[in-house]
Amino acid sequence: MEVVDHKTHNLENGQAAEEEEEVDENANVLQFMDSMDAYLTLIHSLSSNLRQGWLELASARHSMGAYRVNTVLLDHTSHPAATSLLVDEGKEPHFTLCKWGSSGNEKLFLGEEQSSRDKSHPEIRRRGATQLSEEKTTSENKASCEIDDPVQKERSKSLSVFGTLVSPKLRDAQLSFETALETLVEIANRRSEMLCAFDKVNKKSGGSKD
Amino acid sequence: MELFESFKSNAGSTRRRFIRESSKNLLMANRNQIPTSNSALIAMIADEDTVVGFLLAGVGNVDLRRKTNYLIVDSKTTVKQVEDAFKEFTTREDIAVILISQYVANMIRFLVDSYNKPVPAILEIPSKDHPYDPAHDSILSRVKYLFSAESVASGRR
Repeated sequence: MEVVDHKTHNLENGQAAEEEEEVDENANVLQFMDSMDAYLTLIHSLSSNLRQGWLELASARHSMGAYRVNTVLLDHTSHPAATSLLVDEGKEPHFTLCKWGSSGNEKLFLGEEQSSRDKSHPEIRRRGATQLSEEKTTSENKASCEIDDPVQKERSKSLSVFGTLVSPKLRDAQLSFETALETLVEIANRRSEMLCAFDKVNKKSGGSKD
Repeated sequence: MELFESFKSNAGSTRRRFIRESSKNLLMANRNQIPTSNSALIAMIADEDTVVGFLLAGVGNVDLRRKTNYLIVDSKTTVKQVEDAFKEFTTREDIAVILISQYVANMIRFLVDSYNKPVPAILEIPSKDHPYDPAHDSILSRVKYLFSAESVASGRR
């Protein structure tokens, strides 16, 4: 009787372990599929951002002249990149974009700045414009202007390679390529997730075959 | 501070030492173009319009040896030049992501497919004249076998 109970107990434990493994495997496969879907969706979004950027660049070239929007004018003197990446090289590398951060200037972290601003200043709809809310909005605008000024300076510096007076289309192209850059960083993160999930699924399937 | 005090009281060699130390400090203060240890660059191997666009977005970097983090590929660029740029960018420690136009990646497909490090990440992007083709993407090629008939059949056994 005791031997039968022991065997039943072992069988139940084995079944539970198998079920847990299957749940983990399903979770890995789901994560892989989700990250692959996100990767493909972001690639599609990137294609449309880049197409817009190329079109605006072509318009700028048309209005300013081909000799003014040219790689010959590029600055080959030593200078650091204004936009860079922060890399968290763990098991799954994570990339964060730092836009328009140069020596001494405040760096704009993609997503973090916006999310912290959203959390601290949630938008409340009011029927009447009270003095308090007006004061708050002006102070928020001042803060955002302070952050935007160094960013605008860096943007202008980047545009100044092509002359002092540039076409509005060139500015639009700059913004389109900035958006494309944000999408690319997201793609890089989805790529890391996908490869990590793929390795896990591969390990499991390799183990089950043995 | 101690140096300044000794400068006031003594002359000659101390004064010269003060001037030397001050100028060294000024030079160090102006060396603010060295990137922090955490920040990394985005490299590009693409056509002119794509490179110009991303340079407008502030990605361009030129170091003291006048080495850039981009290669503009045109009709005169050889496969060897593209290969050398790819090898250089993948071995540089200050580069985290390499953007490469897919049609350029096709020129060195064997090199791109054999690369399997997580950083720098290789991202294949479309170009003006060559739209993105998922069938050629090296990452998707690596994982597509999961969806093949053989892998599905082996999973069912």
